[in-house]
Amino acid sequence: MAGYGYGVPGPENDGFMTILTRLEQWREQGKISPEQHAHLAGLSRGEPFSLFLELNVLLYAGVVAFVAGLGWTVSTWSQQIGDVLVLTALSTILTASFWYCFSRAPTWSTAETPAPSPMFDYVLYLGSLVWSLELGYIENRFHVLSGQWDLYLLATAGLFFFLAYRFDNRFVLSLGLSSLAGWFGLTISHWSGDLDAAYRRYALLYCLLVGVGGALLQRRSLKAHFFGTYLNIVANVLFWAVLSGVFNREGYGVWFLALIIACGASLAWGLTRRQFAFVAYAAVYGYVGVSSLFLRDVNDGTDVFGYFVVSGVAMLVVLVQIGRRFGRKA
Amino acid sequence: MRLYSASSEETLRARKLLRDWVGEGFVTKEQYQLLDKETVSELRTTNIFLRLVLFLFTLISVGAAFGLFFVVFLSRASDQTVGVFLVIFAGACYAAAEIAVSQARLYRYGIEEALAVCSVVFLCVGMQSAFFTRVYSPRPDAAQFLVPAAGAVFSLWIWRRFGRSYAFLAAMIFVVFLPGYWTSSHSAQHLIIAAFYATGLVAIASVRSRHRFDYLDEAYSLVEALLWLGIYLAINLKLLSLDLPARWWIGTPDTSALFPRPFYWGTWVMIWCLPPIVLARGIREKDRFVIAVGAIIAVLTLISNKPYLRWLRHTWDPMLLGILLTGVAVFLRRWLARGPGGIRHGFTAARLSGKDKSWINVGATVLGPLSPQPPAPEPSSPDFHFGGGQTGGGGAGGDF
Repeated sequence: MAGYGYGVPGPENDGFMTILTRLEQWREQGKISPEQHAHLAGLSRGEPFSLFLELNVLLYAGVVAFVAGLGWTVSTWSQQIGDVLVLTALSTILTASFWYCFSRAPTWSTAETPAPSPMFDYVLYLGSLVWSLELGYIENRFHVLSGQWDLYLLATAGLFFFLAYRFDNRFVLSLGLSSLAGWFGLTISHWSGDLDAAYRRYALLYCLLVGVGGALLQRRSLKAHFFGTYLNIVANVLFWAVLSGVFNREGYGVWFLALIIACGASLAWGLTRRQFAFVAYAAVYGYVGVSSLFLRDVNDGTDVFGYFVVSGVAMLVVLVQIGRRFGRKA
Repeated sequence: MRLYSASSEETLRARKLLRDWVGEGFVTKEQYQLLDKETVSELRTTNIFLRLVLFLFTLISVGAAFGLFFVVFLSRASDQTVGVFLVIFAGACYAAAEIAVSQARLYRYGIEEALAVCSVVFLCVGMQSAFFTRVYSPRPDAAQFLVPAAGAVFSLWIWRRFGRSYAFLAAMIFVVFLPGYWTSSHSAQHLIIAAFYATGLVAIASVRSRHRFDYLDEAYSLVEALLWLGIYLAINLKLLSLDLPARWWIGTPDTSALFPRPFYWGTWVMIWCLPPIVLARGIREKDRFVIAVGAIIAVLTLISNKPYLRWLRHTWDPMLLGILLTGVAVFLRRWLARGPGGIRHGFTAARLSGKDKSWINVGATVLGPLSPQPPAPEPSSPDFHFGGGQTGGGGAGGDF
C-alpha cells in the first residue's frame, strides 16, 4: 500500500501513513485544496529544496572570517602599512557598508521590517564590526579619548542601538547590548575597593536599564519583536549577578531572597507566556542557588549525595507536572 | 527493534510539519484545527527547554544515587566490586529507560534519554573498573579494547532502540579509541577508523533509500552526515591533534614525520577529493545535513591545505576565506533567484519554513556578541587597567 513504511514492518505499524499519503487523504476528503496538496506534497518531498538557512550561515561566516582577518592584519602589519593606508582602507569599508544600508533601506517602521535584500543584514553587521575595529585602531594609535574607553563603548552602544532599530537587525542589537554591558563593566574597573560587589550592583543596574528600556519600547510598539532578545539577556545577567551574591559567605540572605523572587518571576513569565526558556532559567539557576546554600557547610559525602538524590527527584517531579500541564508543544 | 511504533513517529512528524505550514500560511488556521485532530499521538512529548532541564536533573539524580550507594556500601570495596556494581547500575538505568518509554510513553522527554546515556557511561566505567584497573598504563592490556567496543556497540543499540542520533555520535567516538589497542602505527590507526566509518556509511546508504519520504529520513541523513565528517576527520592529518592549529600560524608542524610519505600525500589528495563528493551526494539527494558537512569539510580543507604543504600562513588568509564564502553565497543566491519562479534544478534561495527564521533569530542573539576582536591599544597610563569590558563593543575587547 502506498505510503506504508518500507523496512518498518510488523503489527506496530497499523495505521502507518507517510505525510504524502496523509496529504492525499486530506485532499480526497476535501480538507485541503488540490493546489494546497500539490504545494505541500512538493515541500514534503523537498521540491523545491530551500537553501535559505545555508546561504545565511555562509554569509555570516564570511563576514566574521573577513573581519577577523582584517583585525589580525591591521594589528600585525599596521607599522609597515602606515596609519593613512590602514585608516583609508577601514574608512572605505565602513563608508561603503553604511552607504549601502542607508541607500537601500526601506522607510522606517515601528513594526518588524524585512530586509530589502538578503545581503543587507550582513553588510550592516560588517559595517558595525569595522566601526569597532577602526575606533579601536584610532584610540590605539592616537589616544584620542585619552584612555576614556567607557565613553567609546557608550557611544558605540548608542550607535549600535540606533542602527539596530533603524534597520531592524538583531545581530547589531546584540552587539549594542554587549557594548552597553562592556561600558558598565569598564566603568567599575575605575573604582577601587570591592570589585565583586561593584560588578554585582552594576549588573543589576544594567538589568534594570535594559529591562525597563526594552519593556518601554515594547509598550510603545517600537520593534516589539526585539523584546525577547532583551528579556533573555536581562534574565541571564540578573541570575548570574544574584547567584554571585548567594555564593558570598556573608550577607547572602538578601541575595537569596532576590533569587527566589527572580525565580518566581521567571517561572510565572515562562508559564503564562509559554516561553519555556524562562522556566528552564528558574529551574537551573534556582537549583544552583538553593543547593549552594544547603551544602554550604556540609562535608559528609552521604549528606551531599542524599541531598542531590532527593532534590533531583523533587525537581523532576515538579518539572514533569509542569510539562504535563503546560509544555507539550515544542 | 525500535521502541516507538512507526505510525506514532510518523504522526508526530506530520504534526510538526502542520505547525510549520500554518505558521507560514500554507494552511489556514481553520484547516490546522481540523487536521491537528488527526495527528494526535499517544507519545508524551515536551518542548526543548523542559527536555534539556529534565535531562540535566535525571543525570544529577542518577549520578547522585550511585554516589550515595558507593559512599554507603562500597567505600571500602575493591575496584572489581565497584565495577560489578556499576555494570548492575547500567542495567538498572537501561531498564528504567525502557520502562519510561513503554509505560509512560516518553518521547524525547529528557528523562529516558538521560537514563540511556547513564547506562552507557556506567557500563564503560564499570567494565574498566572491574576488569582493567590500570586506566593510565603506558602499555594497556590488549583486551582493554573491549571497553570502547562495548561502549560503541551499546551506543549503537541505543541509537537503534531509542532513535537518538547523539548515541550514534557516541558510538563513533568510542570507535576512535579502538585502533590504539590494536596497532601502534599511526597510519594504520587512521585507516582503521576511516574503514569503520566507511562501513557504516555503506550500511546506512543502503538502508536509507527506502525511507526517503518517511520519519526516518532525517535521522538517517544526520547519521550519514556524521559518518562523512568522521571519515574526513580521520584522514585529515592536520586536524588530528588539538594543539596543531595553534602551531599552524608559527610554522609547519612536522606531523608528516609520523606518517609514511605515500600515506601523507594520499590523505592530502583525499581531503581535496572528499568535499566535492560529499557536496555532490548532498545536492543530488537534497540532503540538508550532508550538504552542510560537505561545506564544512570544504572550508576545513582550505584551512588545512597550507599546513599540509608546509606553506607559511598569512594574517590575511581569513579575509580571503571570508571573501570566498561571501562570494559563493551571493553568487548562489543570485543564480537561484534568476531561475523561473526563483527555482533552479529543484533548489531555491527563498525561505520556505518558519524554522529557518527562528534559527537565524536565535543565532543572531547568541552569535552577535561573539564577534572577532579588534587590535588592542596600549593603556594610556601605567595604573590604568581594564577589567570588565571583555565582552563589549561589537567585539571591542576591554583587555587592552
